[in-house]
Amino acid sequence: MNKVLEKVLTKDFDVEHLYKIGVYMKKGGYKTLTKVLKKLKPEDVLKEVKAAHLRGRGGAGFPAGVKWGFVPKDVDKPKYLCVNADEGEPGTFKDRYIMSHNPHMLLEGIVITCFCVGIHTAFIYIRGEYENIAQRLELAISEAEDKGFIGKNILKTGFDLNVFVHRGAGAYICGEETALLESLEGKRGNPRLKPPFPAAIGLFQSPTVINNVETLSNIPHIMEKGAEWFVKQGLAEDGGTRIFGVSGKVKKPGIYELPVGTSLKELIYTHAGGMKSGKKLKAVIPGGMSSPILKPDEIDIPMDCESLAKADSMLGSGAVIVLDEDVSIIDVLRKITQFYSHESCGQCTPCRIGNSWINKIVTRIYKGKGKKDDLDNIEKLASNMLGRTLCPLGDAAAMPILAVVKKFRKELKAEIKG
Amino acid sequence: MSPEVTKSTQKKIKEIIARYPKKQAAILPVIHLIQREKGFISDEEEKLVAELLGIKPVKVREVVTFYSMLSQKPLGKYHIQVCSNLTCSIMGAERLIDYLSKKLGIKPGETSDDGKFTLTTVECLGACEQAPNMMVNTDYYGHLDKEKIDKILKELDE
Amino acid sequence: MVEIFINDRPIKVEEGTTVLKAAEKAGIHIPHICYHEAFPPEGSCRMCLVEIEGHLCLELACATQVQEGMKIYTETKDVIEARKGVLEFLMAEHPMDCPICDKAGQCTLQDYYEEYGLFESSFQEEKERKDKKVNIGKGLILDRERCILCTRCVRFLRDITKTNELGVFNRGVHSEIGVFDGQVIDNNYAGNLVELCPVGAITDKDFRFKTRNWFLEKGASICPLCARGCQIFIEYHPGFARFEVPKRVYRISSRVTSRDENAKEKGYWICDIGRYGYSYIDKDRTEFMAHKERDLSGDKEEAVKYINEKIKKLIYRNKLQWMGVILNTWLTNEELFLTKKVFTDDLKLKKVFFPEQAQGEKDDLLLTEDRTPNKKGTEEIGFQFDQLEEKELFEDTELLIVFWTSPFDLGTITELTPELKKIKTKILFTPFKRKWNDDFDLVIPTAVSAEKTGSYTNIDGKVQHFGPVLSPPGEAQAEWKWLISLGKELDIDFKSYVKMRSSLDVFKSMKDEIKFFRT
Repeated sequence: MNKVLEKVLTKDFDVEHLYKIGVYMKKGGYKTLTKVLKKLKPEDVLKEVKAAHLRGRGGAGFPAGVKWGFVPKDVDKPKYLCVNADEGEPGTFKDRYIMSHNPHMLLEGIVITCFCVGIHTAFIYIRGEYENIAQRLELAISEAEDKGFIGKNILKTGFDLNVFVHRGAGAYICGEETALLESLEGKRGNPRLKPPFPAAIGLFQSPTVINNVETLSNIPHIMEKGAEWFVKQGLAEDGGTRIFGVSGKVKKPGIYELPVGTSLKELIYTHAGGMKSGKKLKAVIPGGMSSPILKPDEIDIPMDCESLAKADSMLGSGAVIVLDEDVSIIDVLRKITQFYSHESCGQCTPCRIGNSWINKIVTRIYKGKGKKDDLDNIEKLASNMLGRTLCPLGDAAAMPILAVVKKFRKELKAEIKG
Repeated sequence: MSPEVTKSTQKKIKEIIARYPKKQAAILPVIHLIQREKGFISDEEEKLVAELLGIKPVKVREVVTFYSMLSQKPLGKYHIQVCSNLTCSIMGAERLIDYLSKKLGIKPGETSDDGKFTLTTVECLGACEQAPNMMVNTDYYGHLDKEKIDKILKELDE
Repeated sequence: MVEIFINDRPIKVEEGTTVLKAAEKAGIHIPHICYHEAFPPEGSCRMCLVEIEGHLCLELACATQVQEGMKIYTETKDVIEARKGVLEFLMAEHPMDCPICDKAGQCTLQDYYEEYGLFESSFQEEKERKDKKVNIGKGLILDRERCILCTRCVRFLRDITKTNELGVFNRGVHSEIGVFDGQVIDNNYAGNLVELCPVGAITDKDFRFKTRNWFLEKGASICPLCARGCQIFIEYHPGFARFEVPKRVYRISSRVTSRDENAKEKGYWICDIGRYGYSYIDKDRTEFMAHKERDLSGDKEEAVKYINEKIKKLIYRNKLQWMGVILNTWLTNEELFLTKKVFTDDLKLKKVFFPEQAQGEKDDLLLTEDRTPNKKGTEEIGFQFDQLEEKELFEDTELLIVFWTSPFDLGTITELTPELKKIKTKILFTPFKRKWNDDFDLVIPTAVSAEKTGSYTNIDGKVQHFGPVLSPPGEAQAEWKWLISLGKELDIDFKSYVKMRSSLDVFKSMKDEIKFFRT
């Protein structure tokens, strides 16, 4: 599908000092918020966001409008918005760009969202490593407060909202929504059982919406130009553009905002400049480390949630990692198992022990002490994790491990024999 | 409040605690502030945080030992954290870790005797387009090679 | 009520019941490790996964509530594989300590491996090494290698004692249970952690390395160390054929498990005072009758005749007011009923004295201030406590009969005062050897509650019956047996005593005469 690219989220990224509210407003910023708060009702916003088919950009791809609709209306508890800025999925860096280049766009999205759902306190849970970006966000919040876009009686419409930045401290699992809530409440980042879902019982036992940074950054644009326009930018059930991140052995690693449904091949060769140093493509990880790896003959595929799911992979966070002929698969596997065994919270049996066990086997293979049964064992252990864990991290580990072992079995076998 | 943190930190802590309906929720921001000032979280700091938030010290230790960025041991003046995840690895991170290790005379996980450098390997820093990456205290450095590392270390020394 | 199907069998259960509980009602045990009825579901062991029709993945039986028409399958290929998977994971990082582990024989991993596992180990890596002897307080020792992180211990201290001494440190496979330096477990319910722990990660010094679970027999009894009357098991070693074992009782454990009908009301716990205070059963026991002048040669009838002699002498002189009796609230309902019958009804004695009984601090859970098991029973039977001054007891007393059933030296009488020593004839019924035994003319050995049939009335008015778990040592026998013999020998109301051939017969008579015991 060849669409005329209209940059939405990254449109003004090159504008100097866009993170300053003065510059942002000169570029038209906060006009949409003003229109929404003064002229529209919360139900109007919900209707529009639902019609836009905006799917979550964090990795799970759940429709944002549907999620907001789950929040109970008449409840005697305060409601919360948690902005998931934990961005821990290896290969992902798009939210870092949004928050450092255009924090006000995110804030505008946050205020409109909170107005729609009836939320008066929002926390931006940002990964601890992004400390400089957290400071930039805090500055942007205080600028917005000064101009009356955040705080008490916003734009004199009677709507109150406080936005706080809350830094994490180095735990990938805290990107999982219920672990994020536990971490925000001051505890270990252990995911919770679902049900109950956060929309009903979330932060401090109250109804909570959790959305990714990029997801919320789309809201001002949807409310400005309408749901119909947004859908046209992407696909019928998966509207808008996405900021894909490309890294690895390409000529031009970086962020690329493209319509949902853009071909992966086009993303790598047309936009990211193709293979670095003329090397041959060996494999592509299409949506962050948790997504099953693709072989060169599988990259002719549209980058949208449905298509990748049908190919037994995942769009995830849209983070593309390109591997060339110089990359050895045992290295890839070892980095995957090293990561998940390090990041497992340790609560449930299969993930805690499965990841560590598989990591031990893979490390042994890497050190040249592989055994005949190792690959079969790895497959058995990963299958015992799949669908059996308390939270999706178990699947996020098992699926890529199984894909690598299945699709590159020959090379791994050679590693063991040799 | 204990006299063990500076007055300005005490003030910030008070402000932060006021943001949350439950005091315990302020634990990460408070620990960050204290680790910034003291360099690490010993059992004395754990008791202090417990007192500030009205929880038991064992609950503070649960948090301090869970998160990778929090340290129970003193860290060097410059905490060099090199990403060893997938993209950075295929872009040469492991060689750079060896190089740094030799240059600083310490293995990953160790602190130099003069207390200047701590070297650790970390997971994905979220800057894969600039791989290989490292973070020194709060600053990111990407597109690393041996020359760049030499330059950065020299600047830190000054 | 909703109707659900478990393995295609229809059963009806109340709304809100979990799949786990519903299956139990249907007689199907779904294996589970981290789940315990006393706490909300944790969902971390993943052992209780079952198949539910219409659901993509296996679901937790402990955390899923039944819905009308739900079809649950507990023995499909996927479920069996899932259980094996969990067991394999747990055993991969579990030290094979069975030969030296106290939990062997009672261990959930052992039991489940036998029932649901039986696979060959495929783990060929280095296991995680952790501390194996961490002191976490109150004689409890934590072995971190054995710990399977079910967090039952952490949750017990969070939800039940609310003291929160334990926490989970580190992350992933390095996770471990621990305390904050110097803030070890220090509450009256710590011993429950040993029972709660499904494996041998938490053991206590009291039991460690002393014996093996499979050598012990269990008998049901009631704890007599306070007025709560918790239901307990007395675990004892029946002895070996060819050599001695150093003691009989090795452990007290809680008798209420989650499979009990009214488990939630009864509570699953016992306190440390009851759990660890069992040495009185075996220590310093009186075994033989001891008479200062005569040699009774084990003739129980002779002893009773002697007492009768002394009493009859006073009756002939018309000086029954020179006889006194000291009782206590450790006696069973039946024994108190009999003492009332013999001393108050038959002999019409006025000097019936209850010394101040053992008291201690109570807590918010089980332990009562009253550290005797049957004060309420004593009241219901009709005794009153505000009676004799000690002075009244000593003046003009020629015959004193003392029932000292408690192992504790508490109360106003810790040794015979000089006044009491002056009393001409003193008779003691007691299970325990004490210094003051020598001051008595006749010491009669009696049984402790672990060795007799009887009942106690606890602080809430609940009458709890128990039977003998152990045999009394030597010539000792329950007080009620001695009292019935004495009642017959006195021949004041022979008919009533002849009817009573067992403690249960005594209780039957109690029901006839006292309304309280009819409920």
